[in-house]
Order: sequence, then C-alpha cells, then structure tokens
Amino acid sequence: MRQQFRDTALRLAGMDDKLILLFGDISVYLFNDFSRQYPGRLLNIGICENTLISMAAGMSAAGFHPVVHTIAPFVTERSYEQVKLDLCYNRFGCTIVTCGSSFDYAWDGATHHCYTDLALMRMLPGMEVMQPGSKREFDILFSACYRNGNPTYIRIAADEHGLDLPVEFGRGVVVKETPGATVTVITAGPILKNVHTACSDLPVNVLYFPTIKPIDRDLLMRFADTKILVVHDAFGLFEAVNASCPAAAEYHGLPDDFCCHYGTLTDIRGLLGLDAAGIRQRAGAML
Amino acid sequence: MNCMDALAKQIRESILRISHHSGHGHIPTCFSVVEMLCAVYKSIRHDPKNPGWKERDIFILSKGHAALGLYCTLAHFGYFPVEDVYAFGAFGSRFGCHADRFKVPGVELSTGSLGHGIGVALGMALGFKLSGSERRVYVMVGDGESNEGTVWESLMVAANRSLNNLTVLLDNNGSQSRCLPIDDPQAKLSAFGLDVVSVDGHNITAISRALEHSNSKPRAIIANTTKGAGCATLVRDMFAWHRRSPNAAELETLLGELNAAAV
Repeated sequence: MRQQFRDTALRLAGMDDKLILLFGDISVYLFNDFSRQYPGRLLNIGICENTLISMAAGMSAAGFHPVVHTIAPFVTERSYEQVKLDLCYNRFGCTIVTCGSSFDYAWDGATHHCYTDLALMRMLPGMEVMQPGSKREFDILFSACYRNGNPTYIRIAADEHGLDLPVEFGRGVVVKETPGATVTVITAGPILKNVHTACSDLPVNVLYFPTIKPIDRDLLMRFADTKILVVHDAFGLFEAVNASCPAAAEYHGLPDDFCCHYGTLTDIRGLLGLDAAGIRQRAGAML
Repeated sequence: MNCMDALAKQIRESILRISHHSGHGHIPTCFSVVEMLCAVYKSIRHDPKNPGWKERDIFILSKGHAALGLYCTLAHFGYFPVEDVYAFGAFGSRFGCHADRFKVPGVELSTGSLGHGIGVALGMALGFKLSGSERRVYVMVGDGESNEGTVWESLMVAANRSLNNLTVLLDNNGSQSRCLPIDDPQAKLSAFGLDVVSVDGHNITAISRALEHSNSKPRAIIANTTKGAGCATLVRDMFAWHRRSPNAAELETLLGELNAAAV
C-alpha cells in the first residue's frame, strides 16, 4: 500500500502544485521518483514528529496541502498534542499518512505496535479518520480528502483484504447481507480478509467501514436491530460504532494488555484470536 | 530599564487596569515583552484595518500566556478598541487568557500550550519561501518555554532549511531561574545554527534594529528582559505575581510605580 501512496502522490502532484510531502525520514528511497519529478516537494525533515506536525500546520496556513508521513505510533501517540492543537484546534488542513500501525511491525515488539492511533485521532474535533484495506481504497480515499482543508488521518497497512469493494469517503459497504440474519459483523481495514473468510458460510451480515470518522451512521442504522459484533485489530472502530448505534455492540479484538510477542502479523493475529478461525468461533457464538 | 516609551507605558497601564477589572492576567510576563511587541508591530508589514491582508508579515506569540500583552498592543495599534479587552477571560468574551485566532483580529495562531508556536512559524516561513513570497515570520518564545524540546527541534530544522525569513525573539526574562534556566542562550542558539544578536529587551530602538535582518540564516534575538519591568513590586515579587491580578489598592500602587518608571 505504501507503493500506492507514492503512485497516488505522483499522480496528484502533477495536477496540484500545492501538494507537498513532509517525511520523518522514512520511505524516502521509495519516493525517489517523486523527488526527481517534483524537486523540492518532498521534504525529508528529520526524526522530529512533533515539529513535523507543527510545520504542516504552518505550511497549510501558507497555502499548501501538506502530507505528513512517518511511523504510526510516533506521530499519533507522541505528537498527539500537536495534532490536537496545531491542526485541529487551529483548523489547518493536513493529511497524516502512517505506516506500521497495529502489528505491521510485529517483529519489532511493543514499542512499534500501534493500535490506538485510530481511536486517538477519532476523538479529536474535526479530524477525519480512515483505514483503507487495499491499494485501490487508499487511492480513492486519499484523493478525495487530501485538499479538503480538514485534518485527516490515513493509516496504510502492510496487508490487504483482497476484495474489490465500492469504497467512497464517509460511506460504509455491505460486504454480505443475509436475509433474516440476527448478527451483523462490522470491521475495517485489511482484517476484512479474515472476517470475510470466517463469515463465508455463517448466516450473518458483514459491514465494512474504511472511513471510521465520520462513520456512515445511515448504514449502521439499517442493521441496528441485529446483534452487532465489531471485529478489529485496533481500537477506534468499536467506539465509533457504539457512539452511533443505539444497541450496545460487542468487541472481538485487543485485550487490555501490551503484546509482548514478536513474529509476524499473522502470528499476532492468531495469538489474539483474530485469525479466521478465532473470528468464526466468536461470531458463531452469537448466533 | 531606561526611560519608558510612551506607547509602552500606555500598554502597561492597559494591562494593569484590565487585569484588575477582570481578575485575570499574567502581568509580569506581559510586562517583560511590551517593548518587543511595540518594536515588532512598528516594524513588520501589517494593516490593522485589514488584518487578513495577503502580503502581511506574521507575528506569533508562542509564549501564549502573555496574551493580555498582545491584546493591549494590538488595541493600541488600532486593531480594535482597548475597551473591548476589558472582557478579558469572561464567559462570552472573545479575549481569552490564551488567544483564539478565530476571535481576535491580528492573532495568527491560537496558542497556550508551550512549544507549539515556533513549529508552526517554521512551517509558515518554509511555505512562504517555497512560494517565492517576501513575507516574513516572527515568533516570540519564552526562556521558560524553551525548556520544551520542540523549541530546539524547530530551531534545528529552521537552520537546516536556511529560513532567513524567520526571526525568533527569545524573551530572556529569567523565569526559569528556580528550576531549569537556559544558560548562555547566545552560545546555544549559535550552536543550533542561528544568526544571534543579544539586545536590551526593553529598548524599542535596539530591538527594531535587531529585527532588520538580511543574511542566510534564521535570526534569533535574545531580548534580555525583566519580568514585571516597569513596576518595582512586580519585579521584586515576580513569582508571587505570576498569575495574580491587583486589587484596587494594589492597582493604585502599581500605577504609581509605572508613572514613576516612565518619568
């Protein structure tokens, strides 16, 4: 998905000379083509996430459409106050594109796990929060929002769900609708792949929300008379669903604990019951 | 402090009267920056009748707790009547104890939490430079604020990007003398790659001269100031007065001291 970020930026930069990239010393080599084609429009500022965000606010004030890119925990958890005050409170538009969220850097351990980003960003007034699950979805969502004048958070993932869905900003998608179903499973991001597999022969509905804020309340309300199960390898979607849906949702995701294991994304998902088998067992128990 | 400028005295008097009226105010820190604010608004390109003028220079008060000083300065430069500021800190007022850029003409950034304004100023300066604009950015940080690591991150980046359209005014008023002072700021700022000058922060002429800047580095002006400058009581008890507002008797005492200092 990071390659798609580069390709999308390359495409948009040709049409918009106010698009500018501020990087925290990652992905620079990957973006060599961008730097060659648009000299001076990718600024590798350094490993200083707080200043990256503050600078982006200033560049927005100066008329640019800044895009900040670095690793998820460092720019969301460390720089939360900069995002809150410099972007949201001061209402300066900026798109934050992160990698390394949830357990994409599983092997690096708990310092590099980031499952709070979506929840934290969602709580900030005016912030838009997105979790695309494929390259195509990233392209659609980024293109729709990067210059709308709002602070926007988009996390890009190492994984993809592999489905071709009609995604647009602010809208959820019905992945599966079973007539008479009493359970609706809701998810976001690449873990839809496991949810889709798990629910393939279960009599449930499956909804998918690549935009977590603003959540598609109209779609949620259509399924509000069913039992809701949110399956997500992060926090944020569960809270968004519960804030909008009259019936209390259940959550199948992360425990209140650090993940002190290494390995791969697949290993960690299996450990947490977020593989297809674990999800199937949890959803099946609600039937 | 030498003979006080008439405008600086007027601004200080407004600060005292509004603080007394409202029950709010960080008077000593406001008093340490009055001459800097006067020098800035006498020097930069701005239009009080057209605060959103596209070619204006930018001033950001990163040490946001001196907002009352900024309001009174903007009022005396014609942005709004000083009488409006008497609602300082009140419910429904547009003049909060920290400034809101959407409410007060002339305020370019809503500040309050320390260590933010300088980073945003840096981004503005970079944006203007990349656009080929002649606009300049001025940002005032406190020495206490400079305990924040973000100040030094921003200074590093400003020097690295050769942002000579950025001027950092350091209010060196000794506020951190009881915990983490910024010792030898001249050496520190020079080591970070800025073009540094040190001035009497209560001398408008000297500050104005330091604001004229034309080399390839971002400029840092170390303004050596005194918290509460202009009123002996505030200088003597700067920590006790950090957040206090004067009662009626204290106001008369402070105004008397101010008049005496301005002679």
